[in-house]
This record gives sequence, C-alpha cells and structure tokens, in this order.
Amino acid sequence: MTDMIQDRGGPQSTPEEAEFELRAHLGAVWTGGRLFIAMYTFILASLAFSYFYLRSSNNAQLWRPHHVTAPTYYGFFIYAFLLLSAGLALYGQWRLRRGSVTDWQVAGWTGVGSGLLALFLQIWEFQKVPFYPGSSGYASTFIGFAVINIATIVIGTYWLETTLARALRLRREIGGVDAVLSQHPSAQSLRANIASMTYFWGFIALASTLFLFMFYL
Amino acid sequence: MTISAERPTDTVVPHETPPTPPRIPWAQRPGWMSQHLGTAIVVGFIGYVFGHWLGNYIASGYPYIVNSGQNSIADTLALAFMVVGWLLGVGALNYPLAKLIGREAPAEVEVKGWSKYFRYNTDHKVVGLQYVVGVILFLFTGGLLAMAIRTELLNPTTHVFGPGTYIEIVSEHGTIMMMMATSIVVGPLGNYLVPLMIGSRRMAFPRIEAFSFWIFMAGYAVIFSALPYGGFTTGWTGYAPLQTQNGPGMVSYLLGFAVVGLGMMAAGFNIAATIINYRAPGMTWSRVPIFVWSILATAALLTLATPVLFSAGLFGLLDKTVQTAFYVGEHGGSSYLWENLFWFFGHPEVYIMALPGFGIVGEIMPVFCRKPVFAYKVSAAGMIGVALLSFFVWQHHLFQSGINPDMRPLFMLTTELISIPTGFIFLVGMGTMYRAKIRFEIPMLFAMALFFNFLIGGITGVFLSDVPVNVTVHGGFFVLSHFHYTIMGGLLFAFMAGLYYWLPKMTGRMMNKKIGLWHFWTMFIFFNLTFFPMFIIGLLGQPRRVFTYAKNLQGLNDFSSISAFLLGFSFLIFAANMVWSLWISPQKAPANPWESLGLEWQTATPIPLHNFDRIPVILADPYHYSEENPPAVADLGEDLVVTAASSDSNPS
Repeated sequence: MTDMIQDRGGPQSTPEEAEFELRAHLGAVWTGGRLFIAMYTFILASLAFSYFYLRSSNNAQLWRPHHVTAPTYYGFFIYAFLLLSAGLALYGQWRLRRGSVTDWQVAGWTGVGSGLLALFLQIWEFQKVPFYPGSSGYASTFIGFAVINIATIVIGTYWLETTLARALRLRREIGGVDAVLSQHPSAQSLRANIASMTYFWGFIALASTLFLFMFYL
Repeated sequence: MTISAERPTDTVVPHETPPTPPRIPWAQRPGWMSQHLGTAIVVGFIGYVFGHWLGNYIASGYPYIVNSGQNSIADTLALAFMVVGWLLGVGALNYPLAKLIGREAPAEVEVKGWSKYFRYNTDHKVVGLQYVVGVILFLFTGGLLAMAIRTELLNPTTHVFGPGTYIEIVSEHGTIMMMMATSIVVGPLGNYLVPLMIGSRRMAFPRIEAFSFWIFMAGYAVIFSALPYGGFTTGWTGYAPLQTQNGPGMVSYLLGFAVVGLGMMAAGFNIAATIINYRAPGMTWSRVPIFVWSILATAALLTLATPVLFSAGLFGLLDKTVQTAFYVGEHGGSSYLWENLFWFFGHPEVYIMALPGFGIVGEIMPVFCRKPVFAYKVSAAGMIGVALLSFFVWQHHLFQSGINPDMRPLFMLTTELISIPTGFIFLVGMGTMYRAKIRFEIPMLFAMALFFNFLIGGITGVFLSDVPVNVTVHGGFFVLSHFHYTIMGGLLFAFMAGLYYWLPKMTGRMMNKKIGLWHFWTMFIFFNLTFFPMFIIGLLGQPRRVFTYAKNLQGLNDFSSISAFLLGFSFLIFAANMVWSLWISPQKAPANPWESLGLEWQTATPIPLHNFDRIPVILADPYHYSEENPPAVADLGEDLVVTAASSDSNPS
C-alpha cells in the first residue's frame, strides 16, 4: 500500500484516497482504450468513406480500370499475420486471466513477431503494387490504406510489446514469475493496460477483415 | 467506493522507511544540460535539415519532381522530421521509448523555478499556463495578418500587396486563427481548471496532456513555415483542386493541420478520460460544473471529429508527395471528397470553438449574478445536444458545391435544428441574469458581451442555413461577418472573460481593473464597428478573398479597416494589462476574489502539485448563491467545508 500511495496519490494520501486514485487510474485506462478505438474508428471510417465515395463517383471512368487489384497474396498474408497477432493477444489474455503468465508471454511475444512480419510485408508490398498511385481512385485509396495500415500495425505491435516488456521488468521489481497477477498497483495497472490493448488489437483485426474484402477480394 | 464525509480513516499511512526524494526525469531537470525549448529548437532544426536531405536523396530523380521543379517529398519529410526532432528535443518521446524496455512512468515531482514553463512538464497547471502563452502567440500572429488584410482593403485601387500575396495572407490568417480557436479554451483553461473543478489531484494521462501542448506548438511552426515556402492560396478551407495546384506552402497547410489535429485528439482524449474517471467522490453528473460539461462535450468532438481531419490531411499529403489522386477528378479522385472530409470535421469544429465559450460564461455568470445557474440540466443537455447534432450538418457548407440539390432541405433542417439546443444555452444565460443583482466586474462584462455578439452571429447563422439565402450570399462578406461574430464575438470574448476571472488563481495576481475596463470597452465597441459593416458590405456584393472591390464600397471598408486597427489596439491594451498586472505593478490576489463556490478557488495559492491536501467530498453543485440555508458544497477534509455562507462572507 505504501508503494501505491507513493505512486498514485502523492506522499500524503490516506489508504481510502490511494484506493480511490488507483480505481480512477484503472478506469481511465479502460476509458482511454475505448476512446482510442473510437478515434481509430473515425480514421478508418474516413478511409472507407473515401473508398466508397470515389467508387460511386467513378470520375473519368477511373475508379478501377481493368479491375486492377493489389497483390492478393500479400494482402492475404498481411491480414493473416495481423489476425494471428491479434488472436494471440486475445488468447494470451484469456490464459492470463486463468493464471498462466507463461502462456500469455509466449503468445504475446509470438504476436509481436507476427505483427512485425505483417509490418514488413505491408511495407514490402509497395514494391509489388502493379499500378501507379495516381492511376485510379482505387489505386489512391489503396495507397492511403497501406499507409494507415503501417501506422496501425506499428501502434498495435508497440502496445503489445510494451506490455510484455513491462511484465518482465515487473518480475524484477516485485519478484516472482507471477508478478503480473499480483495485487500490486503496478500489476493491476498493467493488467488493465493489457485488456485495453487486446480490445484494440481485436477491433483492428475485425476492421482489417472489411478492408481485406474491399481492397483484395 | 466513496470517501465518506466523516472520514473515519482519515489518517496518513506512515512510510515504512524514510521516503527518498523522487528522481526528477531528465526532461524536467533544471539547467541547460537537460531538455527544454532550446534543445527542441536545435533538434527540430537538425530534423528539418535531415528530412530535406533525405527527401532530395530519395526523390530528386523522380520524373514528376524533375519536371515540376518542386520536391514536395523533401518539403514534407523536412517538416515531418522537424516535428519529430522537436518532440525528441523537448523530451516528449523519452517515456514512449523507455516503455519499449518496460520502464514505468517516472513519479510526478514538483520542479521549482520559472524554467519549468520551457520544459516538457506533466503538471496540468504548468501545461495550462504554457497553453496560455501558446494560444496568445497564435492569436497575435493571426491578428497581425488581419491588420495586413484590412490595410490592403483601405483602397480598391491603390494596393499594398499583389493579389497573390493578399490571398496568401488571408489563407494564413484564417488557418492560424482556426488552429488557435480549436485549442484556445480547452488548452489553457481546460487543462488548468478541469482537475481542480472536479476535485482531482491529477490528469488521467499527464504525458499525453503535455504532448498535446508541445505538438500544438510544433503545428504553429509547421503552418508558419507556409509563409517562407511561398504561402498557399486556398483560404483556410484548402479546397481542391486549388490545393493540388498549390506549391510547397500547401504542404505546410496539410501537415500543419494533421499535426495540430494530433494535439487536439490527444487533448480531447485525456480530458474526457479525466472527467469520466477522476471526479471526486460525491461529484455525480448532476453536480459537475457547467464549464466541465462544456469541456466534456468539446472533448468528445475533438476525439471523434479530428481524426477525419487527420485522414483528410494525410490523403492530401499523399497527393502532393507520392502522386495519389484522392482529390484529382481527372485521375479517378474527387475534389468533393476533400470538401466532405474537411467539413465533417469542420462543422463540429465550429462547436469545438463555441461550446467552451458557453461553458465559461455559464460558469461565471452565477458568481456575478449571485444566483444559482438557471436550468442547470437544460444547459448540460443543450451542450450534449449541440455536440451530437454537429455531426449532422456539415453538408450545408456544400449547398453551392457538390451536394445533390435534393439533399439540401434535409441539411437545412438539421442546421436549423441545432439552433434549438444552442437556444437552450442562450436562455440559461438570460435566465441566470433575470432579476439578478449583477456585479459588473470585467469577466461579467465580457460574458454579457458574448451574449450580445452571439445573438447577432447566431441569428445570422439560422438565416444562412436557409438555402435561398445561402445561395445568394455565398462566398461574400456576409458569411465572413457571421462567423467572426460567432467565433471572435463568442469564443474570444469568453476566453477574455475566463482569463480575467481565473488569472488571479492561475498567477496569484489581480488584473488591473481600470486597464481591464479600457480593454473591454475598446474591444467590444471596435469589434462591432469592424464586423457589423461587413454584413452590409456582403449584402452589397463584395466577395471574400478578393483584394479589390467596387469603388462605392470604399467608405464602409475604410470604416471597417479603421475600426479593425483600433480593435487590434485593444489587444495591445490587454497585453499591457498582463505586463502591468503581473510584472510591473503586481497586486496579490485574495484567495477567492469573486466569492465563488467553485472548487478551484478552495485550494491554496499557489496551488500545490497535487492540488488538494485531501481529496474533497462533493456534497452539492457549486451554484447555491444567495439561498437561505444553502447546503454545504464540499468537504475538503481537516474540518474545511465549503458553503455559500462561508464563501459570501469571504471578503474580496
């Protein structure tokens, strides 16, 4: 409790106040995660709006001449790795709730690797795109999607990695393999962070399904 | 969990070991060898040079760059790396990088001395004051450009600037002012006051809060770079296809809005999370101060509408750099796509600017009327209603361009609908003043002026939402006058009301009343004398953004220009008042000079790092003025209870 008081409420907090501050902090992490998803929803919605707006406008008959498509194999593998990363994050959190820290860490680090693979492929795909960025409405929105997807994967993978790195350091600070499951305020904060991250990553995986259909299939 | 009013366990837990002083993060350590504004400028400059070199290295051989003679990739990378360098230099990226190796955020520590205002500081009060200076910098830059505009319009045939330079000045003025206006209340007053008003000791995400300020200032540098880059000619709305045809100044515009947008999202996100989670025990939603309601509604708009601006700016940058065709109709894009994305953000932005102004006057009017706020719940509902409806009106900006004519009546209706919750808020102000014994202090004068100005701006807004009128006066000075009445006449007057009201708490110094009266009356009179004639000028057919006009309009234009210069002078009076009251002849402010019941006035001055020694327990809303047997408002612990009686008896 003393640590918690030093961490959150200032040096003169009463136990009640320290607990109040901790609950507020955990709530803020929860709210922050949802607000971040809301923000991201509007970013992705503006991309989807652009796609359908240009598609329905079909200006100069240049929405998608000759039905050009971005490299489908790349798109599929990027999606698969992203889905795997998000799926592992979800699975890991499920295992963590059941007390298996090791499972969460293995799933998490594999998820980071999977995210990095998705990121590499998404960047490399620029080498393989069979159209000029400004050749059509489809080409433009695809490039926009690819840029946003790179940022998304970086954010998601970064968030996942930082929770795992924090857990490792927490093990040294608090002691014990299961430090992340303790009632220490830092551990509670980390678990709230993991829950928000998983929720975000799951949301991105769902949204990516929509974009897979829009751009690749 | 609640902290009970009786506080049975109100004892401080002793430390098991003597507490060691917390380590001060490197970015906040005093001295030249740490991170501060100076290192931000140096590393930002290095980033600029590196980005420019990188862009030239990558793209100087591309055919479209060789043919155009402009390397927009180099321009974009230069500015982008400048922003990253700025953030690195000031220390904003220390913690995100440290997180990669699992480090926890450093403990919040109090840093003494004035140098903290030049550093990446996570104390919300420091960030609030940093924002005050930041928005005033924006305001005075935009104001100088306004003076240049009015100078050019003194004569229709003798010109100070060429037509190209004139439109570039107009564009820069509009963009800087709009960027400033989105943050002018949320940034300084929202960050400073919200935790105090809700009884919190901190912000939910203090590093994100500090980030929002420093990236906001990076946005200033980026948009200001448009001038040396040769400006842009689109006006603040950046319409395509002119956007596509513009030179490197357009890159500054697009990246500037994206960068400022990031700051707006960060600010909104942090403030919303704080209000939702950090309200003190007992502060139910029906006890939340009106100002906090307005900031919450604004934060929701910042969080949800700004991402669309960010995307729109990103797409524009892709058009400029990698030659996509989002806004190029000839290549399968559409200039109307920009209009839709821009205004989907742009109209909620109007309320991002208006709502905090309503919140300020709603907060301070009961104090100077010594009456409870009239129809508190209607006021809160009005703000939420405005925020919700603001997402459904953006197409009225496209009545003349791009909209299916059959859709016009729908958006005319939604635009007229939004006047209903706005009217609620207006009536709350009138109801609060009704039969009140008003204290005509300077904040109250500014608050009353807002209602006068906004009445004109609001009614002309309803008038403009009508399709036939809109089509008739589109693109003219009538519209220009309307939005200056709402934004400057509303928001800026409210900001001034807020500054005069809360600066004694923020600085511990009273603003000089006599100079303040001069400031108010010159600003109020010359604001109206500047902008009211523009309604007439507009109805007589003068278009916006054109450096000449019909000879018969010179008299009105000259009248407006001279009034504008005097309006500009009124801001110098304000600056003089700041300098006089804070440095030349400082007068210590009483603890609660306006006898307010607001929680923000119940803390010590200067406010300690953690705001409250004990987390307050809220017992009632803070508007029980002049009531018989008023309830206690808050229990501050250690036998300190806030009541209307104790507040009223507090001599100013």
